[in-house]
Amino acid sequence: MDILDKIFTLLIFPGGLFLLILGLAYEWVDRKLLAQLQNRIGPRWFQPLADVIKLLAKEEVIPEGVNPWLFIGLPIIALAGSLTAALYTPLVGLPPSHSFPGDLIVTVYLLSLLTLCMGLAGSNTLDRFSLMGATRTLTQLFSYEAPFMLSLLGPAIVVGSWRIADITSYTENHWLLLSQPIGFLVALIGLIGKLEMPPLDAPEAETEIVAGAMTEYSGRGYALFRLAKGAELVVGLTLVASFYMGGMANPLLFLLKTLLLLLVMVGLQTLITRLRIDQTVGLWWRYGTLLVLVQWLGMIIWKGVAS
Amino acid sequence: MESKRQDERFIIPIGPQHPALKEPAHFRITVDGEIITNAVVRLGYAHRGIEKATESRNWVQNIYLVERICGICSHIHATAYCLGVERLAGVEVPPRAQTLRVLVAELERIHSHLLWLGVAAHEAGFDTLFMYSWRDRETVMDLLENVSGNRVNYSVNLLGGVKIDIDNQISDTIREGLAFLEERTLHYLDVVSNDMAFLQRTRGIGVLTRSQADVLGCVGPVARASNVPRDVRVEAPYGAYQQYPVNIVLVEKGDLEARFIVRLKELLESYRIIREILDTLPPGELTTRMPRRIKEGETISRVEAPRGELFYFIKSNGTDTPERVKVRTPTICNMLSVLKLAVGHQLADLPMILAGIDPCFSCNDRVAIIDHRRKSPEIWTWQDLRQYGIEYYNGHSR
Amino acid sequence: MIITTEKALSTATELFENWVWKTRTEKPEPNRLDVYLRSSEDLIPMTVGLRVQRLGYLAAITGLDLGPETKECELLYHFCTAAAIVTLRFRVPRDGAIVPSLCSVIPSAEVFEREASEMFGITFHGLRNPDHLYLPDDWPEKTYPLLKDFNPEVLKTLHDREPDNGK
Repeated sequence: MDILDKIFTLLIFPGGLFLLILGLAYEWVDRKLLAQLQNRIGPRWFQPLADVIKLLAKEEVIPEGVNPWLFIGLPIIALAGSLTAALYTPLVGLPPSHSFPGDLIVTVYLLSLLTLCMGLAGSNTLDRFSLMGATRTLTQLFSYEAPFMLSLLGPAIVVGSWRIADITSYTENHWLLLSQPIGFLVALIGLIGKLEMPPLDAPEAETEIVAGAMTEYSGRGYALFRLAKGAELVVGLTLVASFYMGGMANPLLFLLKTLLLLLVMVGLQTLITRLRIDQTVGLWWRYGTLLVLVQWLGMIIWKGVAS
Repeated sequence: MESKRQDERFIIPIGPQHPALKEPAHFRITVDGEIITNAVVRLGYAHRGIEKATESRNWVQNIYLVERICGICSHIHATAYCLGVERLAGVEVPPRAQTLRVLVAELERIHSHLLWLGVAAHEAGFDTLFMYSWRDRETVMDLLENVSGNRVNYSVNLLGGVKIDIDNQISDTIREGLAFLEERTLHYLDVVSNDMAFLQRTRGIGVLTRSQADVLGCVGPVARASNVPRDVRVEAPYGAYQQYPVNIVLVEKGDLEARFIVRLKELLESYRIIREILDTLPPGELTTRMPRRIKEGETISRVEAPRGELFYFIKSNGTDTPERVKVRTPTICNMLSVLKLAVGHQLADLPMILAGIDPCFSCNDRVAIIDHRRKSPEIWTWQDLRQYGIEYYNGHSR
Repeated sequence: MIITTEKALSTATELFENWVWKTRTEKPEPNRLDVYLRSSEDLIPMTVGLRVQRLGYLAAITGLDLGPETKECELLYHFCTAAAIVTLRFRVPRDGAIVPSLCSVIPSAEVFEREASEMFGITFHGLRNPDHLYLPDDWPEKTYPLLKDFNPEVLKTLHDREPDNGK
């Protein structure tokens, strides 16, 4: 029974299938809201699923000059990374299925795996757009990673534990959004950067470098990358919502919270022009990191005084 | 990667097919990291051989031909051609017809500038502005359809007059549409001059100084954004512009922001002119008689297209077909400025700089070969494409 | 400083009537001044003269084929100031004409000269980049489409070539 239970956890719920479907659903909400705000009609509810099925059915063209193992393997690793990260997060407000002290660090790094895989996938090809995209993807990774990490560690410091389950049980009674607003904002914008959504989509700015690192991907590989992004969107929103907006809750309320976060993200996407890559780096290192550090310092001092 | 080592250059091909280009052209952008160090252009992917084709068609047929040089500014091409031929024939066009030409020309300018606003915003990654401005552009497209029956090639001009007339009902529809557009334009003017995120992408980018613009021979809104007072409607008023004078819009700064502001302010100016025309449209005939053969002679016809000065040189040899029709479109004058401006900027700014001149490649590429080519376009494109593909993958060096 | 049409025309007329090398001028239309050059050698000094007087910008270079019988082409350089158009024009042989390039004086002349060279077969001496601007790279040599005796049959060789489907 135990093994069956494990398989169910990994493949159906909360890992695997459930997460993928939730990812597609969130992607649809994102696209639909964006379209509505831009005075368009937007896709129908099954469009993201249809896209993925179409991509999976398409021939995968492996361009000349790439390492085929890497080319095929990277999307799988990326998807595996996002799915694994989900096992440690309180999806839809339920306690995480796996937990160990320090799982926060592991989760954050598993989330970065997608970006790293995309960077590698881009630099694996000879295509110039991919190379430019890969450079930008990695540049962006180095700029948002530190502040994003710091903003997730803020709650950890307050709680005094690196374990996601501990943090979420503490935040159930404390809305850290109120005491650490900067951390919340940085986490949310960091998530936009992680997922390369506008306005931080310079790594795949279509008017300059077509699809950036993804330019050479067509069939299955591209579908897997997209699924990985969907899963990462869910995991990221879950982390931010459970850390900053009242921890675990009943699934419906939790879903509402994540959707509210998504709405804020869509608002930012609608209102702001794409930043150039140098502007992105400037944004993070000049403002993001410094502000989070200041907040950290305040927190540590406050903790010291209080204890 | 190899090419980079070989000659320390990393060339990004933009085009012939590329999401930033709405029409085919080929730019070879040499970059050092994100900084552009050189830019070369290759045109001709939309060749139709129209200049040569005019020589084998009669004067009337050619109106339809030149109208198809450009899909966005079709009316102004036909106007330039008709004005030139009428001058050669010594025919005076009735005032009502001349005024209606100006009316359609200004509506076309509105449509073109709104289209440009959307494209430029899209290049900057500001899709919301793109969607909204194109939605509003539908209003002026509907007005044009109302006036002429067509949304794109209005086909308003005839030698010696115009085909369309407007009545009170249509003028009221136009006034209504303009009221809506004016409100929207003021809003966009506010957005492009106050939105901080957008200004980061436009302010101080692609600066063309006044003397540069003068030396490079820039025309139209690009020149006016650099404070060069070059507007044919003002300098050499043609048609009904003598009765409806245009106030020239000049901005000093010469950067991308200035190009946005110039075009948006020109929209406001167009609304004013159209309202004035609707209020004081002279009554009278719409056409006058034109001879079938045009007297021998040469003439030059300059008009202000939405993108700048459009130049027609027409030579007649006394028969019913022209001896030579030379077309110089505004984009070709402004193209050089792009290549000069791009150097030293970030790659991310290139689409904006390129869009800043509102390039129109099918305007550019009208000369060259005759119809024969149309029968088998895939063949040569394939050659080209293959050549392109080989260069693309081999990491060539020239 | 804005130069009016009348001022531009009178300055240009004055400039060219007192020109060292005698030229013939004509006013085909009230706003135009056509200057017939003795030969292409006068082109650059005259353009410099126009630039010094701040007269106009190079609006276009028009090529005219005067027909196979005359064995001559004509080149027209149009300079516009306000409504005034000053045209410098001269004839060149249809075969192997060499004309000095204006690029050193007016950089924007490059595109016009490239166009004239591929369409009429005129060589511009000093043109930095004489590549095709509009025509495809595999365009047959010595074939100039805007000449009156251009025979489109030449292109059949270009199009009837079998595409090799990249194999």
